Amino acid sequence: MNTFFSVFLQYWPEWGPRLAEAAKVTALLSSAGFAIALLLGALLVVLLRSSWPVLRLAANGFIQAVRTVPLLALLLALYFGLPPLGLTLSGFWAGVIGLGLHGAAYVAEILRGGLSAVHRGQREAALAVGLAPHQVFVQVVFPQALRVMLPPLLNTYVALLKDSSLCALIATDELMLTARAMSSEFFLPLHIFLLVGVFYFAIAFPLSMGSRLLARRLSQGRKVMGAA
Amino acid sequence: MTPRLDVFGGILATLMAGAVTAAEVAAGAFAMALAAGLLLAVLSTFARSRALQLAIAAYTEWMRNVPALAHLFVIYFGLAAIGLRLSPKLAAILGLGLVGAAVLCDVFAAALRSLHVGQRESALSVGMTPWQTLRHVLLPQMLRLAWPSLGNYTSQLLKDTSIASAIAAPEIMFFARNLVTSTFETTLVYVAAMLLYALMVLPISWGFARLEHRMEHSR
Repeated sequence: MNTFFSVFLQYWPEWGPRLAEAAKVTALLSSAGFAIALLLGALLVVLLRSSWPVLRLAANGFIQAVRTVPLLALLLALYFGLPPLGLTLSGFWAGVIGLGLHGAAYVAEILRGGLSAVHRGQREAALAVGLAPHQVFVQVVFPQALRVMLPPLLNTYVALLKDSSLCALIATDELMLTARAMSSEFFLPLHIFLLVGVFYFAIAFPLSMGSRLLARRLSQGRKVMGAA
Repeated sequence: MTPRLDVFGGILATLMAGAVTAAEVAAGAFAMALAAGLLLAVLSTFARSRALQLAIAAYTEWMRNVPALAHLFVIYFGLAAIGLRLSPKLAAILGLGLVGAAVLCDVFAAALRSLHVGQRESALSVGMTPWQTLRHVLLPQMLRLAWPSLGNYTSQLLKDTSIASAIAAPEIMFFARNLVTSTFETTLVYVAAMLLYALMVLPISWGFARLEHRMEHSR
């Protein structure tokens, strides 16, 4: 057992910087994907609330389609399927767009749920005291909805961070592909893949905990078995 | 148009072999996740041992905050390096099953904890044993609460079988990538692959939704 752990110490000076460099790519990849997911998700919610049935149908269809297809299929289609149609994307950008499209479907559900969690009376009361419609949204409805939306949005970011590992299969030099390259270089796959897991964990775990703490602060004190 | 349809049919037929493997991997992982997840959830909710609860929490956090692909690589490449060589399919079942156990443990534990304390106290006070209380009072209610999450997990699992192609398990995406390099029908192949996933995922999510509807009406 001692020798198992001493391998990490021995190779850390070589492995650490390379994985840290790759972790930056992973962070950038998932953050850019998340940014697109937020923008597109917001747009989808606007479409879902539109008075045109066609737009509502299109937005719903998009969400359902994305949720039915594996992210890997989407990524491979973007990376290998677009060049024959005349559009060539680098692995990184195919990854960002794939993660963005995938995340948007989940973000849209969260935003829709958060907005509908705000009681109708809040909006009606704000209008009744004379606030303009945009003030009602910005100052009354959105702040309350944000409290509900924040924990699941954080979870979505963590999910995208983990999903970004699939970009290794479309030649993006992020954590997972770097780890694969290192494992065929050093012939220590068990150590390297466990270590790359630690890198993901170090980013994802604090965010997951943050999401849970936020969610707990919002829940009411009902007497439940967990508290017994 | 007819020859294109022929090509499409041929592609679909090849991918079907992958769909069978995907279904097998999903079924194996689901069985593992369900059994282990249930056990872990019950233990983490009712066991008095602080060490055991901590161990379960450490397990679920590790599994849930690290990509499934990393777990698959540890199991397939990592274990092979220390002499434990698993087939790609078995490694995929094991990897997805271990991740699923952590996911379902959290789902089931949250549902168990949200049941009112009175349910357990009154079952025990009318003379039911702890096992009977669990089996006949707590678990049925827990399952009803956890049902929508269980449905989401199951369709997610079906889609996640696609990452088993990274360890060369002969499932849909594995055949799709081979077909692309041999036929160059890139668009057609990926459309066919996505169609197959939709054909597997949609009945599952409809089935779960239907049963959920029924459960609500049987109350």
